[in-house]
Amino acid sequence: MISRRDLLKTASAGALALLMAPALIGSSFSRDMTLEEALKEHLGATLSDLTQSDKVRIKAPTIAESGANVPVQISADVPVEEVEALYIFADANFNPWVTTVELSPMNGEVFFATRIKLAKTSVVRAIIKMKDGTLLATSKEIKVTVGGCG
Amino acid sequence: MARIGRAIVRVPKKIKKGDVFKVQMVITHPMETGRRKDRHGKTIPAHYITKVEFFFNDKKVTTLHTGPAISKNPYFAVMMKATESGKLTIKYEDNKGGKWEKSVPVKVS
Repeated sequence: MISRRDLLKTASAGALALLMAPALIGSSFSRDMTLEEALKEHLGATLSDLTQSDKVRIKAPTIAESGANVPVQISADVPVEEVEALYIFADANFNPWVTTVELSPMNGEVFFATRIKLAKTSVVRAIIKMKDGTLLATSKEIKVTVGGCG
Repeated sequence: MARIGRAIVRVPKKIKKGDVFKVQMVITHPMETGRRKDRHGKTIPAHYITKVEFFFNDKKVTTLHTGPAISKNPYFAVMMKATESGKLTIKYEDNKGGKWEKSVPVKVS
């Protein structure tokens, strides 16, 4: 037979555990981020600092069968000597930052291709950081039928 | 997964001096985000490539900073300008301390 005291003890321990659960989850998972936060962290910029430019091109499917494997190709009609780095962001991902590519004149041209994961239908952004600090950007919406972020 | 960190690097066979050629690579890697659960409900720890560096004759060409949003068995392609023959070395590492290196010869005529 469980005494009243024991019952209260276990009940309060259980309540405490429930209270602490969100904190534990918060530490074991990477924190969800908004696009603005990700831009700030990686570029020190906000959305309004981006200059939309048709010199930057994204080659990617409009509809991706699986979000686990979306081919994305970025290129730009700017001299590679003036470019510092290239960034890819996916707005709807848990952490929108995908990759940062530091280029050098030895690359010959501004180009990068990879395969990325998309949690769901999302706008994918390519941002080119010029050496003078200008941020050239372009975006493309990719529709995803099956998400790929687990 | 077996053979984590194995890479295949591909460069064109015929490169003329002054050409811009494409370097393609695929690394065998699970790229776990740390968000997925196994069938017992346990979280699979994050395991992904964090950095990939391309060197040509020991001079750095490109650095990639990558996160879990890159697909499993990551594919990367960059362009390079052909100035001379030499050795292309790619160094890459993951968040669990794995470090690898792969070199391929580049012949420029």
